Amino acid sequence: MSTAPQLPPQLEAWLREFWQRQMDQAENMREDGLKETTLPLARIKKVMKMDPDVKMISSDAPLLLSKACEIFISEVTSRAWMLAELNKRRTLQRVDVAGAVGQSDQFDFLIDIVPPEYGYSKHKAKREVNPLFPYFRQ
Amino acid sequence: MSDNEMLHGGDDDLSLPRATVQKIIQEMLPNEMICAKDTVTLIIDCCVEFIHLISSQANDICEKESRKTIAPEHILAALKELGFDSYVQEVESVLKEHKVQQKEREKKSNKLNKSEFTEEELLRQQEALFAASRARFQGRTQ
Repeated sequence: MSTAPQLPPQLEAWLREFWQRQMDQAENMREDGLKETTLPLARIKKVMKMDPDVKMISSDAPLLLSKACEIFISEVTSRAWMLAELNKRRTLQRVDVAGAVGQSDQFDFLIDIVPPEYGYSKHKAKREVNPLFPYFRQ
Repeated sequence: MSDNEMLHGGDDDLSLPRATVQKIIQEMLPNEMICAKDTVTLIIDCCVEFIHLISSQANDICEKESRKTIAPEHILAALKELGFDSYVQEVESVLKEHKVQQKEREKKSNKLNKSEFTEEELLRQQEALFAASRARFQGRTQ
């Protein structure tokens, strides 16, 4: 067995540190990679830019919005799931999403997106029009 | 732009990747529960509308501050104003993590710049290592 050549001590130390950092990074990436499914930032930025009023977007804004979208999807899914369970179904249907959306004021902006299902439209009739919600569909 | 986007007029059909959204949905559901295909579509449409909502509000907030670029704090303020207060903590932590990672990256590149050796010396040392390695390899195969 041959022995490794003698490295100058500074280089040896530098190499050791370098590989330690690489391993740390690999460990972190493994955790993130397995835990989270993330939406593509470029696509989110494109959707944001559909609004003609939106001009410049910082590089980390889409990152935040991506996380907000994940939470939004998770919340709608959980609520829809509860409704499907109540109806003893194993498949999430559009009516469950419509019901989920009807449960909370914060989802008012979806009034035109979800189909007018029974329960939700009844709820809808009681609401005032909120001037905060712009519409892009012409 | 994908071929599909170019054929169908690109931006009008802009939405979110179905597979990714489906994964996020499935992560919230127990194994025996599935989401119908048209339901995934509906959720995607809702999410796109959510992005429009938050962006528009963030843009208004940004303009009121006479700034030209939508920044993270505008997104956070928009979430609060539109009743998505409960999202703020988790969203903020993503920003903090991102900043920490950026600092780590900067530190690493500084480390290389501060190395005692110049780039030429490092290259020479690397070549010396390769030469030694080659010699060992040749030594073993002969």
